Amino acid sequence: MKYIFIIIIGLFSGAFYAQDSAQDLLNKVVEKTSLVNDYSASVLIKPDVPMIKSLPVKAKIYFKKKDKFKVVSKSIAILPKQGFTDVNIFLSNPKNYMVVEAGTKMINNTNARLLTVIANESSSEIILAKLYVHPVHHVILESEITTRSSGTVKVNYQYSTQLSYGLPSQIKFTVDVKEFKMPKSFSTNPHKSSTSKKKQRKTGTIVLTITNYIVNKGVSDSIFQK
Amino acid sequence: MLLKNTYNELIKILAKPRSYIGFIALTVLIGVILLAMKADGESFISFVTASFEQTLSFNGLILNGNLIAFIILQMLIIHVPLLVALVTGDLVSGEAAMGTLRMMGTKPISRNSFLLSKFLAGAIYTFFLTVWLAFLSLIIGQYMFGTGDLIVLNSDGLVIIPENDIMWRYGLAFCLAYLSLLSIATMSICFSVFSDNSIGPIVSTMAVIILFTIIGSLDVSTFDYIQPFLITTHMASWRSLFEIPVPYDAITDSIIILLIHIIGFTLLALWRFNKKDINT
Amino acid sequence: MSEIVVSVKNLKKSFKDFKALKDVSFSVYKNDVFGFLGPNGAGKSTSLRCMLSLIDSDDGQIEIFGKSLRKNRFDVLSNIGSIIEKPDFYKYLSAFKNLEIMARISGRQVSKSEIEDIIHFVGLKGREYSKFKTYSHGMKQRLGIAQALMHNPDLIILDEPTTGLDPQGIVDIRELILKLSKEQGKTVILSSHQLSEIEMIANRMVIINKGKSIIEGDVNELLNSSQMMVKFSCEEPERFCDVMSKEFSNISEFNVTASEIEFEINREEISEINAFMVNQKIKISGIEHKRKLEDYFIKMIQNED
Repeated sequence: MKYIFIIIIGLFSGAFYAQDSAQDLLNKVVEKTSLVNDYSASVLIKPDVPMIKSLPVKAKIYFKKKDKFKVVSKSIAILPKQGFTDVNIFLSNPKNYMVVEAGTKMINNTNARLLTVIANESSSEIILAKLYVHPVHHVILESEITTRSSGTVKVNYQYSTQLSYGLPSQIKFTVDVKEFKMPKSFSTNPHKSSTSKKKQRKTGTIVLTITNYIVNKGVSDSIFQK
Repeated sequence: MLLKNTYNELIKILAKPRSYIGFIALTVLIGVILLAMKADGESFISFVTASFEQTLSFNGLILNGNLIAFIILQMLIIHVPLLVALVTGDLVSGEAAMGTLRMMGTKPISRNSFLLSKFLAGAIYTFFLTVWLAFLSLIIGQYMFGTGDLIVLNSDGLVIIPENDIMWRYGLAFCLAYLSLLSIATMSICFSVFSDNSIGPIVSTMAVIILFTIIGSLDVSTFDYIQPFLITTHMASWRSLFEIPVPYDAITDSIIILLIHIIGFTLLALWRFNKKDINT
Repeated sequence: MSEIVVSVKNLKKSFKDFKALKDVSFSVYKNDVFGFLGPNGAGKSTSLRCMLSLIDSDDGQIEIFGKSLRKNRFDVLSNIGSIIEKPDFYKYLSAFKNLEIMARISGRQVSKSEIEDIIHFVGLKGREYSKFKTYSHGMKQRLGIAQALMHNPDLIILDEPTTGLDPQGIVDIRELILKLSKEQGKTVILSSHQLSEIEMIANRMVIINKGKSIIEGDVNELLNSSQMMVKFSCEEPERFCDVMSKEFSNISEFNVTASEIEFEINREEISEINAFMVNQKIKISGIEHKRKLEDYFIKMIQNED
């Protein structure tokens, strides 16, 4: 009997020990990212967006706490409007939102926990965020951010050398694109007739491969000035 | 005799005040555009990227000399052909009106050589006008705005061409632009053979360009059969060089059509000029 | 007889429905100053334009220097200098530049010094670098002659070269033409609608009217023939005619108006007729006489008016 009781106590303890609450998990994610005061990195941007033809572009990204972010590129780099630092800024203040655990999903052989974050303020730009979080490393593996102005952006994250800071090595954005309409004033393509109209894809992807992170070594404010 | 009279024709073109109107007009026009872009180019960029800016942001030096040159080159459709026709449309009819055709017609030069020398001189003039256009739009544009990737908006969407992949495209684009201007020059000289006054051929050339441009821009299936053969349709073929991938087959078709126009107008002009009684 | 330089046979040309040339034929010999005479609209300029290949004739033959114009255009035109109607040059170029342009395609090498010489020859020295549009009519005509002569052609064709010139200018042109013929041995074809002008310069001539050759020959022979058209003014024209018919039976055609009688007679008979009428107490108030050809030409002009 005594042994059965010890086993039952042990199981309960294990359960309490193994699973944080949704808020706790999110706090750990935020804690990890807050270790980063600043960073710079090289990024290769590969867009695959309907009605945009562009070759991969090399750029540099800079970040400084709490919301300074800059992409520096001589080439024209296409990036999604939402999905970078805005999520971290939103999550940094627990008063902004309410978080609820909503299940799990297998991502890259990891049983990620789904946290649904709902904005408290009706005027908040981010309305809803679905975050798939690694239960052990406390990093976001996947997210679906619904914003007021830009619709829904789906983001996949991969990590390697900067896992300890929660800085991804690859980010894949999947954006909703509406049927882009061309201004009529531009001359028509001489080699296309009025009957040739292709069906347009509804989504596009932008993949950022980030390397050469330099973290917490200081980034000058002048970089963020226009 | 052909080369000697081509030299004569170039002297005449250089001596006419009208010949400089094209160069001055290009300088003023491009100067105005460059200044306007310097003052408020960003709002123009917004126009280009407006459709995409709800979900995407464009970073980097968008407003650069390469984009400015592209915008200016767009003017080729209507404006520069007029400046070419202003000179080439007058090459034969102007002499008829002035009476010098009668003087030259008594010289021991064949009518074919006489007319071909005018075509050659017209081609040389058009060449220098194109070079001037290229210099002002690309060189001055790059000097004022720097260089960078080129963002192009066409009916298929946005194309972003890397900086190191641009100059060869511009080289070919100006060659194609020259070919299309040459076809206009040839057409206007052909009209000039049929007329004894200066203004008629110039106005006729412009009327043809405007009419064909309107037909070409109408998105109506009825005109789908005519549009591939219109000279103005292929005047815009240089734009295809700024696509990824470059549709070389289509560009080759355009070159062939333009060459057919050039040869056709030349032959028609030669035929008519040989039959023509010089009564002026 | 010297060699034929120009032979035009049965030249025909129509412009749509209008027959400008119906049958023009004439020959020009070496060293001739050949008068090409006809009223306005007779077809002179059209004929000359055909000879200079400005116009393609519908029919007929043109041979110059013994060669067919159609088949040897370059060789023929290289040896002709011409002014058709008024000389027109490039207004925005100087006289010198205009001549350089013409010289380059004249078929012969013409050096800058030769151009300067010809400018001096026609009396334009000092004005050769002025733009053509600043030239007076006389200066334009001189420049026209300069371009016709600068490549030293053997045949010179001048279409009404004295039109619009002042009297001194007309004299200068006449002297120049005579000089070209006599001193330089050139053959000159000179078209005009003024018989007096042709008479002063030409040795041979052809008269054309309404696109047809009328008469061709030596000027002296044609104009100094003894046949005259005489007009007597008197108060009794019917009586005059009666007397004439009885006494001078060789004269049968009279043009009679209220007080004038016109008919054709030999020069020598004028004084005889005058004396006879006086004897017959027929009062003669005036006698006018013209050479028959002159009279014919004047009538042609009057009909054209």
